[in-house]
Amino acid sequence: MKRTSLLLSAALLAVGATPPAAIAQELVVGFTQDANTLDPGNHRNRETETIIRNMYDGILTRDSSMNILPEIAESYNQVSPTVYDFRIKDGITFHDGSALTAEDVRFTLDRLTREGALGNDQTSPRQSLLGPVSGVEVVDGNTVRVTLSEPWPLLPAMLPFNEVVSKSFVESVGTEGMATQVNGAGPFKLVDWRKGDSIIMERFDDYYGGAAGIEPVGPACVERVIFKVIPESASRVAALLAGDVHIINELPAFAVEQVEASDTATVMTVNGTRSFFIAMNLEGDVFDDPKVRQAVAHAIDKDLIIDKILGGNAAAISGILSPDAFGKNTDLPAYEYDPEKSRALLAEAGYPDGIEITMDTTGAYKDTAEAVASLMTRAGITTKVAVGEAALLTEKWRTEGGEKSGDMYFTSWGNGSLDPQGIFVPTHVTDARGNSAGYANPEVDSLLDAASTEVDREKRAGMYQEAEAIANADLPYIYLWVPQDIYGVSRRLSGWSPSPDSRINLHDACLD
Amino acid sequence: MSMARLVERLLQLVPVLLGVSVIVFVMITLTPGDPVEIMIGDQVVTPEQEAQMRRDLGLDRPVHERFFVFIGNAVQGDFGESFYHRRPVIDVIAERLPATIELSLVALLIALATAIPLGVLAAIRRNSILDRLATVGSLLGVSLPGFWFGILLIMLFAVHLQILPVSGRIGYSSEIDPITHFLLIDTLLRGRPDAFLDALSHIIMPAITLGLPMTAILMRVTRTSMLEVMRQDYVTFAEAKGLPRRRVLFRHALKNALIPTVSVAAIETGSLLGGNMIVETVFGWPGLGRLVVESIFVRNYPLVQAAVLFYAVTYVMLNFLADILYTVLNPRVKL
Repeated sequence: MKRTSLLLSAALLAVGATPPAAIAQELVVGFTQDANTLDPGNHRNRETETIIRNMYDGILTRDSSMNILPEIAESYNQVSPTVYDFRIKDGITFHDGSALTAEDVRFTLDRLTREGALGNDQTSPRQSLLGPVSGVEVVDGNTVRVTLSEPWPLLPAMLPFNEVVSKSFVESVGTEGMATQVNGAGPFKLVDWRKGDSIIMERFDDYYGGAAGIEPVGPACVERVIFKVIPESASRVAALLAGDVHIINELPAFAVEQVEASDTATVMTVNGTRSFFIAMNLEGDVFDDPKVRQAVAHAIDKDLIIDKILGGNAAAISGILSPDAFGKNTDLPAYEYDPEKSRALLAEAGYPDGIEITMDTTGAYKDTAEAVASLMTRAGITTKVAVGEAALLTEKWRTEGGEKSGDMYFTSWGNGSLDPQGIFVPTHVTDARGNSAGYANPEVDSLLDAASTEVDREKRAGMYQEAEAIANADLPYIYLWVPQDIYGVSRRLSGWSPSPDSRINLHDACLD
Repeated sequence: MSMARLVERLLQLVPVLLGVSVIVFVMITLTPGDPVEIMIGDQVVTPEQEAQMRRDLGLDRPVHERFFVFIGNAVQGDFGESFYHRRPVIDVIAERLPATIELSLVALLIALATAIPLGVLAAIRRNSILDRLATVGSLLGVSLPGFWFGILLIMLFAVHLQILPVSGRIGYSSEIDPITHFLLIDTLLRGRPDAFLDALSHIIMPAITLGLPMTAILMRVTRTSMLEVMRQDYVTFAEAKGLPRRRVLFRHALKNALIPTVSVAAIETGSLLGGNMIVETVFGWPGLGRLVVESIFVRNYPLVQAAVLFYAVTYVMLNFLADILYTVLNPRVKL
């Protein structure tokens, strides 16, 4: 029992029970969602991965500045544009005590990428996250060679999202058993999964230490770690303030002040990886005119919204990429806030009395979308916000080239890898999945296409910078901001900082 | 009630369930939104990979084929695998169900234990201060939104007074081997009063929040029907006979006054089971309601289908139970 109130102690005495023995030092994370499964190869869910990543390690990992570092691998190198070699560390053991070998790594990648590899004719839903991997083999005792069907510079950036499993364990428990049992090589072992409630883990004392490049190297600091599912934000904040939990994710902006003012907790932020933007339907007869699109851009005071609604926790952007992304163009011109200019541009475009439009968005973004809409309305673009369910709006706006209805879509796109390939291509290439604006520019298409296989990093970055400049001028979207991820953390916590990819790795976290 | 009558009533379940299956399947299939699109989210996939995911979830088949597969498997008790949990939905639902039932029952107990005495008192002392307080209180009880009331309780008892935990079902150190999967019972069966109190401290706030609107409704129903009964001739007669007031109230009036209360309680219990997703979310209660809502948003078809069927069965069974209780309380009524 974690909190013994006077009342309950009295009751305990009354029934003659002895209080439970002192419990191990445990760190509790108040988390928005339960894991869907504990099988690292059979889900497609960021929250599930955040939890699992504390029990399983990857071939590569990232530090909190998003640098890619070898974890289970000792080192890696690119042999040719389509071949990578990963040298696996010696002396790593799984939780059951068996040794981790190159064969386990090969098996892991094969299980993720080969069709039907999960058994029962099922393929890993993570297959597409590893792009064009076409072959995996063990070359000399402890080196794993990954062959790609075409050059794909993204491979090292995507490997931290995939965790190494034990071949013999998978073969003995099967894909079914993997959903609820864990035998990883990560810093914590599974104790109990109380579904929908919490996942309890304890320190793995024989842990090899993790990435050599991330101090400290060695077993985890705390004895037990618990991911406690608290979906409601107000309850998550309350749990933090009450001292029930030590880290909470998705701290709502409105609670920042309250948490900062408390004696028990404080706020930590990190640049996120999700870009917010407004798609304008270029196929409609209003937004096909660039002057109208520019009028919208000049109508929105991003700084005001960031300051007043997002509590200052966001960075304004003038292109789709986050300021931290690879290949970000830092010299993009900003469309300054100037409502008079908006009106003038609308008049030039043949709308001297302004225009009336509807902006679609989901419930989660309602507040910000309404603030944006009121600014636009002041500049002559009378905007009504229509809130819809995410699944419906996806169908309406992600038409992959199909006909579009609607005027505007206030939305976002996440890009955990911080590589432009994950966000620029799906939102800007002609007829791509997330191209909600219906943007089509052959020049951008060919730049993005060439960049996706370009191996020279500098050249590749240059291509993205050029593409971003073109898109900034064409303005198919109003690029808004990249919010910071906000965490509430106990003042007792040390050694932990939030990571831009929203992982919560607890290996280095300590409690006093 | 005869055995044959019971069997007949149970048999009537079959067409109901079949009808519900058809409606659920059609509704969820006609609802726009593509599970595969939602699953892919903000990722880049090739059309082949997307087709592969669709095949893995069995969504590549035409709708009518999927329907017959669903019905065919469902009658054998197989509702398919959850798209997200990648395990049979029956297992996933079974893990969450005890928490929901336990919470609903405790809420029901709290509601009955407060509503009946209050309703009776309000009726006996009609127009007194107590009656007015109870009436205003019940109006508040029905109108306070659960999420708001729940958060108020959390702020008061968990954050300020720190005497109750914010969320969850039991503390992490109270590890109990399940017997019935109802923690309040299992902790006692295992001889762990400390864990029992721990579980009790976790369930109090969500149960009060969940039970509040029901308390209010039951209180009003009891009060009205008590007033009604007390105007009846047989009550007047009993009083005229000189029977003690206590005896008149509890032996003669209350027994009959409780008939509507019982039937409303049975039906409301159905909505307790189905309607607690908000309370489960606010208190991080690991129940079925939250799971179903999350599943609807991501179009997890198999789970939603199985859960709705379960709700339908429960509702029908509770109505059935109400009918039986009716006959027990009022022998004039026959099934």
